[in-house]
Amino acid sequence: MNAIETINLRIWYGNNEVIRGINLAIPENVCFAIMGPSGCGKSTLLRAFNRLLELNEIARVEGDVKLFGRSVYGMDSVEVRRQIGMVFQIPNPFPHLSIYDNVALGVRYNRLVESKRELDKIVEWALKKAALWDEVKDRLKDRASELSGGQMQRLCIARALAMRPKVLLMDEPTANLDPISTRKIEELIYELKKELTIVIVTHSPAQAARVSDYVAFLYLGKLVEVGKTEDVFENPKEKLTEEYLTGRMG
Amino acid sequence: MTADKFKLSLLPIASTVFGIFILMLIVFFSASLPIIQKEGLAIYTTNVWKAVEEGEEFYGVLSAIYGSIYTSVAAILIALPLSIGFAVFVMDYAPKKLKELLIIATDMMAGLPTILYGIWGAFVLVPILRDYIMKPLYEHLSFIPFFSYPPITGYSYLSAGVLLAIMVTPFASAIIREAYRMIPKAYREGAYALGLTRYEATKTLLGYIKPAIMAGILLAFGRAIGETVAVSLVVGNTFNIHPSLFAPGYTISSLIANQFGNAFIYEYMPSTLFASGLALFLIGLVVNITGLLVLRRWRYAR
Amino acid sequence: MLVRKIKEKLFLAAISIATFLTILPLFHILFSVFANGLPVLMRGGIDFVTETLAPPDSELGGIGPAIVGSFVLTFLASLIGLPIAVLTGVYAAEYPNSPIGKAVKTLLLIMMEFPTILVGLFVMNILVLPMGRYSAISGAFALAIVMMPYVAVYTEQALKEIPFVYREGAFALGLKRAVVVFKIMMSMARKGMITGILIGIAKVAGETAPLLFTAGGSARIYFAGLDQPIGAIPLLIYTLVQQPYENYHQIAWGASLVLMLIFLAIFLPLRLSIKEVKL
Repeated sequence: MNAIETINLRIWYGNNEVIRGINLAIPENVCFAIMGPSGCGKSTLLRAFNRLLELNEIARVEGDVKLFGRSVYGMDSVEVRRQIGMVFQIPNPFPHLSIYDNVALGVRYNRLVESKRELDKIVEWALKKAALWDEVKDRLKDRASELSGGQMQRLCIARALAMRPKVLLMDEPTANLDPISTRKIEELIYELKKELTIVIVTHSPAQAARVSDYVAFLYLGKLVEVGKTEDVFENPKEKLTEEYLTGRMG
Repeated sequence: MTADKFKLSLLPIASTVFGIFILMLIVFFSASLPIIQKEGLAIYTTNVWKAVEEGEEFYGVLSAIYGSIYTSVAAILIALPLSIGFAVFVMDYAPKKLKELLIIATDMMAGLPTILYGIWGAFVLVPILRDYIMKPLYEHLSFIPFFSYPPITGYSYLSAGVLLAIMVTPFASAIIREAYRMIPKAYREGAYALGLTRYEATKTLLGYIKPAIMAGILLAFGRAIGETVAVSLVVGNTFNIHPSLFAPGYTISSLIANQFGNAFIYEYMPSTLFASGLALFLIGLVVNITGLLVLRRWRYAR
Repeated sequence: MLVRKIKEKLFLAAISIATFLTILPLFHILFSVFANGLPVLMRGGIDFVTETLAPPDSELGGIGPAIVGSFVLTFLASLIGLPIAVLTGVYAAEYPNSPIGKAVKTLLLIMMEFPTILVGLFVMNILVLPMGRYSAISGAFALAIVMMPYVAVYTEQALKEIPFVYREGAFALGLKRAVVVFKIMMSMARKGMITGILIGIAKVAGETAPLLFTAGGSARIYFAGLDQPIGAIPLLIYTLVQQPYENYHQIAWGASLVLMLIFLAIFLPLRLSIKEVKL
C-alpha cells in the first residue's frame, strides 16, 4: 500500500491555481523527494498532506489525499496530524519551553502516555533517534532557544518523532543550516527511512540525489516526472527535468 | 470542526465590546430624549441656563459647544507646528541617545494622569499666562477681538487651549513620527540626490505624508474635545459665548463634570447633560472615525 | 545659495524651539509637583498616607482612604476588564478577516479615544441610578471599560507578531486550536501582553472622569463595601483643587506627588524595557 496518494489534487490560493492536478503515489518506508524551482508549489503540496493548508484562509483544495488508503478528509484533522509529523524550513522549537518539554509537547497533549516514566522514555528515545541525545542529555531543562540552528532542527525532528508518526514531512529542512548540520540531518534521514516514510521537499537537486530513493520533479504546479532517483537523474525522460538537473533552469 | 467550536466560544466575549458600545449609544439617546422632546434642537442652539426648581426650566448648551470647539481648535493650532517640528527634530536631527530620551518623554506625557495636568494648569500655568501674556496683551491690544476680555482670574479659553495643546502634542507627534519613519528610503535618497538642503528635502517629504499629518491633527482634536478634568480646572466654567481668548467659558465635558453634582434636583437637567454628552459622543465619533479612515486609506494606498 | 543656507539655519532653530516647547511642560509639571508636594509629604510624614482628611482650614490629615480606594478600584477593574479584554484580543488576532474580527479591531481603536467622562456617565445611568448611590463596583466597571481597549489591542498585536512557523509547528503536532492559542502562542506573546496589561492599569489608576459620577469619592472612610462610595487619588485631587481652602490645596499637591510617584513606578520600568508604546 502506498503511504500517501494524491488523486487529481488541485490547490488554489485565492484565484491563483498553485497545484494543477497532481497524481502522486508515495510508497512506504522510503525517502521520497519533491524537487523543483522556487515558487512552484512544493511547500504547498506538502501542507496538503497533513491538512496544514487549512491554516491559510484563502487556500482551497480539490481532489483527494489518501493516507494509507484512507482519505485525510474523512478523518479529523487532528487525527491526521497525529499520524504525520512535520519539520519546517525555519527550525521552530518553542523558544520558551525547555528541550524536554518541546519533545514531550505533542505526546502530552495527545495523551499518548500514562505516566511520567513513560514520557521520559519516549523523550530519550526520540532524542536518540534524532541524534541529539548525547549533546543535550545533561541539560534537558535548558531552554530550546539556547541551541544552535542545527541542534534546533534535530530537536524539531525529535519532537515530531516522539509522536511515532508513520510519515515524516520535511519542508526544506536544511535550507537554513550550515553544511555540517546539513550532513548530520541527511545521515539521519538515511537511518529513519528504514522505519518510516519520509517526504522531503528540497530545492537542491544535489540533496535529492543524495538522500532520496524516489524523486518527483514539480514545475509550476504540475508533476513533470517521477520515478526512482537513479533513473530520473541518470536518464531523465522529460526535457524540463534535464534542464533543471543540469542547472539551466533556476 | 474544532476551529468553529473555538470561534463560537470566543464570540460572545468578543461581542461584549460591541454590546457595551451599543448599550452606550442607546443609553445616551434615551436619556437625552426628555429634554429634546421638551425643547427640540434648541437645546443645542441657544445659550441659556435656567435651572429653577419648578416651573420653567430651560437649557441651551450652545455655550458649551462653542467652548469645546473654540478650545480644541486653539489647541490644535498650537499643536500642529509643535508636533511637526518635534517629529522632524527627533527623526532627522537628534542623535540616537537624545532621540530615545525625547520619545520616552513624550510617551510619558501621553500617559500622565490628566489630573496632574489639571492641578498644574490651575495653580501654575494660569497665573503665568495671565500675568505674562494675557495682561500685557489686554493692556495694549484690547481692540483686537481675540484679546478684548479683561483677564482677571486667568481662567479662560486661552488657558484651556494651551493646556490642551500641551496634552495632545505628544500624541499627534507620535502619529506623524511613525508616518515619517515609514517614508520609503527611495524618496529620501531621491530628494537629497537632487541637491536639496535638509530643510527643502524635509519640506518635500512632509508634503508626502500630508494625509498622516491631517489624521494626526484630527485624532488630536478628538482627544482635546473629550478631555475633561484638566480643562474644567482652567476654563472658568462660565456660560459665555465670547470671541476673546481671555474670556472664561464652558466646554461640553467640563459642563457635564461641573453641573452633574446637583443635576438631580432639577427635573430636566440630567437629561440636558446627557444630551450634551450625546453631542460630544457624536462629534468625537465623527472626528475619530474620519481620522482613522484617513490614516488607514493612506497606509494601504502606498 | 546664501538664502538657502539661512533658511536651513532658521529651520533648525524653529524645530529645536518646537521640540523644547513640547518637552518643557513635562519637566515643569514634574518639578512643580515635587516642589509643591514634597514639603507637604515631609510635614505630614507617614500620617499623610494613612490618615483621613482633616477639616477645612486646619492641618493636613491624610489621604489614606483615597490611596486604598485607588488600589481597590484598579484591582476590581482589572478583575472585570482583563479577562474580557484578553479574549477579545485573542479573537481579533485569530480571526482578523472575519467581519466581526475586523469590526472589533476598528471598534477597539475608536473606544481608545472615547471621552472618558461619557463612560462615567454611561455607567452612572445603568448602575448608580438603579442602585441609588455611588459605589465601588460602579467605579470599577467604568474603569474596566476604559481599560479594555488598550489591553485588547496590545494582546492582539503581541499575538500577531509571533512568526507563523510556530503556529504551523504547533498545529502540525496535532494540537487543537484552543491548546495552540492558549498554551503555546499566549506564552510566547506574554511579554507584549503583560506590557498591555500594565499600561491599562497605569492608565486607569490615573483616571478621574470615569469616577466622577460612579465612585462618589470618600475622604474619611476607607472601604465600606462594594456597593458603597469609595475614594480615589485623582478624584480627591480634583475635588480639593476646587475648594477655596489653603490646606486642601496643599493636600492636593501632596496627593499629586503620591499619584505621580505611583505612575512613574509603573510607567518607567515598563517603558524602559520595551521599544514603543501606543498611548
